[in-house]
Amino acid sequence: MPSSLDIAALLPFLLLVLGALVLMMSEVFLTSGGRGYQSGLTIAFGVAAAAAVPFAPQRVLFGGQAVSDGFSGFVAVVVCAGLVLSALLGRGWLTVRNMERGEYYALALFGASGMVLLGMATDLLLAFIAIEVMSLAVYSMAAYPRRGQRAPEAAFKYFILGSFASAILLYGSALFYGATGSTLLSSMRGGGGALLAAGLSLVLVGLAFKVAAVPFHAWTPDVYEGAPTPATAFMAAGVKAAAFAFLTRGVLAMVAGTPYAVGSELGGVLGFLAVLTMVVGNLFALPQRNVKRMLAYSSIAHAGYLLVGVVATTSPAARSQGLSAVLVYLAAYAFTVIGAFSVLAVLERRDPNPDVSAGGAWDISRFAGLASRRPWLAFAMAIFMLSLAGVPPTAGFVAKLSIFQSAAAANAWGLAVVGVLTSILGVYYYLRVVVAMYMRPAEVEEPSPAHATVVVAIAVTALVVVVVGFSPEPLAAWARAAVLGM
Amino acid sequence: MAGGTLLNVVLFLPLLGALVAAILPRGEGSQHKAWALFVSLVVFLASLGLWFGFDPSRGAPEFQFETSVPWISALGIGYHVGLDGVALLLVMLTTALMPIVILAAWNSAQERVKEFFIALLFLETAMIGTFAALDLILFYVFYEAILIPMYLLIGVWGSSNRVYATVKFFVYTFAASVLMLVAILYVWMNDGKSFDYVVARNALQVTPAVGALLFGAFALAFAVKVPMFPLHTWLPDAHTEAPTAGSVILAGVLLKMGTFGFFRYAMPLFPEAALQYRGTIAAVATFGIAYGALMCFVQTDMKRLVAYSSVSHLGFVMLGMMAITAEGLTGSVYQMLNHGVSTGGLFLLVGMLYERRHTRLISEYGGLAKQVPWIATAFLVVTFSSIGLPGTNGFVGEFLILSGTWLSRLRSPGWYAAFGATGVVLGAVYMLVLVQKVFFGKITNPENRHLPDFSVREAFVITPVILLIVVMGLAPQPFLDPAKSSVDRLLARMQAAEQKLRKADPDLRPLTGTDPVALAFARPPAVPAAAPEPPPPGAAPAHGSH
Repeated sequence: MPSSLDIAALLPFLLLVLGALVLMMSEVFLTSGGRGYQSGLTIAFGVAAAAAVPFAPQRVLFGGQAVSDGFSGFVAVVVCAGLVLSALLGRGWLTVRNMERGEYYALALFGASGMVLLGMATDLLLAFIAIEVMSLAVYSMAAYPRRGQRAPEAAFKYFILGSFASAILLYGSALFYGATGSTLLSSMRGGGGALLAAGLSLVLVGLAFKVAAVPFHAWTPDVYEGAPTPATAFMAAGVKAAAFAFLTRGVLAMVAGTPYAVGSELGGVLGFLAVLTMVVGNLFALPQRNVKRMLAYSSIAHAGYLLVGVVATTSPAARSQGLSAVLVYLAAYAFTVIGAFSVLAVLERRDPNPDVSAGGAWDISRFAGLASRRPWLAFAMAIFMLSLAGVPPTAGFVAKLSIFQSAAAANAWGLAVVGVLTSILGVYYYLRVVVAMYMRPAEVEEPSPAHATVVVAIAVTALVVVVVGFSPEPLAAWARAAVLGM
Repeated sequence: MAGGTLLNVVLFLPLLGALVAAILPRGEGSQHKAWALFVSLVVFLASLGLWFGFDPSRGAPEFQFETSVPWISALGIGYHVGLDGVALLLVMLTTALMPIVILAAWNSAQERVKEFFIALLFLETAMIGTFAALDLILFYVFYEAILIPMYLLIGVWGSSNRVYATVKFFVYTFAASVLMLVAILYVWMNDGKSFDYVVARNALQVTPAVGALLFGAFALAFAVKVPMFPLHTWLPDAHTEAPTAGSVILAGVLLKMGTFGFFRYAMPLFPEAALQYRGTIAAVATFGIAYGALMCFVQTDMKRLVAYSSVSHLGFVMLGMMAITAEGLTGSVYQMLNHGVSTGGLFLLVGMLYERRHTRLISEYGGLAKQVPWIATAFLVVTFSSIGLPGTNGFVGEFLILSGTWLSRLRSPGWYAAFGATGVVLGAVYMLVLVQKVFFGKITNPENRHLPDFSVREAFVITPVILLIVVMGLAPQPFLDPAKSSVDRLLARMQAAEQKLRKADPDLRPLTGTDPVALAFARPPAVPAAAPEPPPPGAAPAHGSH
């Protein structure tokens, strides 16, 4: 029987599910007076779920299949922040396109609940369920604009490849079960042998797909570009956070329980993935003129930096540092990337037929001369770009610094060097947006005024990015406290 | 401590001013100009408190006006600031140049006036912070934060090819400094996990091979900033395309961050590696002196010419530093200030000519002296300072550097000094040729017939520069005093490193301090206090460190 403490530990997750159900019902019964309240309701549930996190007791749930701890709490807050901000963005984006429906918010809440659950999972089966809840919701969000071909195409691609990855993950879990007789991560303890190794490799591949690590990244650019911008923002912030949370837990369990970490095989494999991801993500982002696509490739690159932090956790000396670095990075990236997508959403072209404009809707020329027409919007975008590039004093710099610091503590100097060198490429393509905004004359028509909620989203994210850049202590201390005892 | 508070005020007042300016209405440009000028003047006045409050005596603490509080304690990063003599001089240079720059930019920034002055004020905080930081990460943060406003200054308010120049500037500098971040992290791992500069300097334990790599990472970052040949190619572009204010700050302060970085970080943190590679660096610096000077002869653009002369002058600074003698180091510090004043002055004057004629091409000018005698006079005085004429500040710096190099224990120091001295000769030629082409002869271009002389504002801009040139030339002592203790400490640190090397290799030839044989030309040989346990003259083996 679940005790009241179990309920309290699951409260953030339950609130999100409840919110999703309420929103679904509201679409059926309460649409006569307009739908403006739906985003407000979503935000309320998101905020409530985040507010429930500090009250969630530290507890092992479902007989060891999940755990509620500081780490899952941090991930839940990041996911809820992503949900709230992308709901603000979605409200503006969908309203002006006359596409606002309750399903969109219900899907977002379902997705967020899956993400929060994934952050708590310590069992392959539960993780699979959480991943599916999250992924099915996000696939549908990607397919949400039914007009045109790009969004359905993106969603279909995402769905096919994502299902393939899920299948691999499931297959890996089966082998894992065969080797250990359980799907609990903790059952690896003392294990070994070819079957377990094969199972873990397949699980790793499945997760690498979800975090968009090279060479499992091919879906990312098309899906990010085709999906409606608020959904892309939610994906970039939320899916990444949740998937990395489970990946990190899995790696920790492997370090504690299997011989693979001792001989640095695990670190080697992850390090190889990290190098590949950083190099390929940054190199492919370089030639992009389509800003949305550039952000997609950049999200791959950022997965690479996060993987460096995950590698650091395999070293006992750097474990807590690596864990808190991953958390700080996830938080900083979530705020920055949602901010960037929000600015993009303001500038996006609104064609009746979205297929005509193709990539042109997000062409870098749309940013030209923005600084003289919309100084604050341009300033915010400049902040986001500098933060993504990791230039001080922004949150992105603090995040990169803590990642590289954890790599240093793990003596992974090669990764640190590759990391800083690839971030030079990043500077170039992020600065191109700043160049366009500040140093090029305007080429296209005046952008239409931003919806008030989008303005709020941009202002909040920009403020967070700058404040964390100047005063990162609260965030860093929270992340440090969240990983105590892991 | 009261002194610490004052430094924090000087450090953050410009940033505060920038924040206030952000809320002032956009439309009223003159309000922004006046506000920026006011803030920079207040900062300058406050920094005078630092100047007069600084205790340059031997027994005084190395770093004064210190503040040390945790900043990001979860990552072990502290907010630790304080000034030694050299940092104080450079902070004073920054705060003194800033009002001049703002006044000089009064009419040149026509559009987006608000952002222009916000960028300048933000830049001032970052520059002061770079010199004041005593925590390695804090230093890195300020060092990198400078790129943003400078990038905008060049890219938004620059001339035709500005985007190319500014991206080159940003990527070049950023690329060079990221490896320094890794090196900083390595230092952190090997000094008991502290980013504090003072702790790191004392506790750092690395093998010579690793030390050389770390030194290399720091040196690369700073060598691009200086810039040293062959990493200088971003400088002519950035200087040429930048607005006058950008050029003056770039030449006056930003380049000093490279040389300051060598003085403060690369050499004291890794003295053994510095001793090992000083010959190479000195050779490259010497080559840069001649190269920069020769490049000046073929320039048709005044700003580009001054930019290449910067490469040459900064070569002197590096040469003096690598001599590792008291004279060389002192001269090097002094030359940093001189270059800031004189090259800053040249850019100011070129900017004034540009505002009148909207061209920087030397061939467009000629015979201006008849038309604008005061500008010509000022230009000539600044030129004299730049070429090191006795009586100006430039002479003091170049003399100290060349004599310090001559007396040093670099291998065959005479060659370095002699080769470096060609820079002085060539410098006189190209600068005087420039003056002659621009100001003397007949007015060939009719457009030059009706140029106005200094306005009142411009007179206020240039007078402090001229005054500084003369005062620093005739009475250098007040400016040398603060530097003395820093120079002595660095020298002692290098000598300690030398002794450590000698323990490993007793046959090591002396490396630091002045060479008694070279001094013998001047006075009877004496056991110099600078080099403990010197081997008997002549017994020093020809082979050196490895």
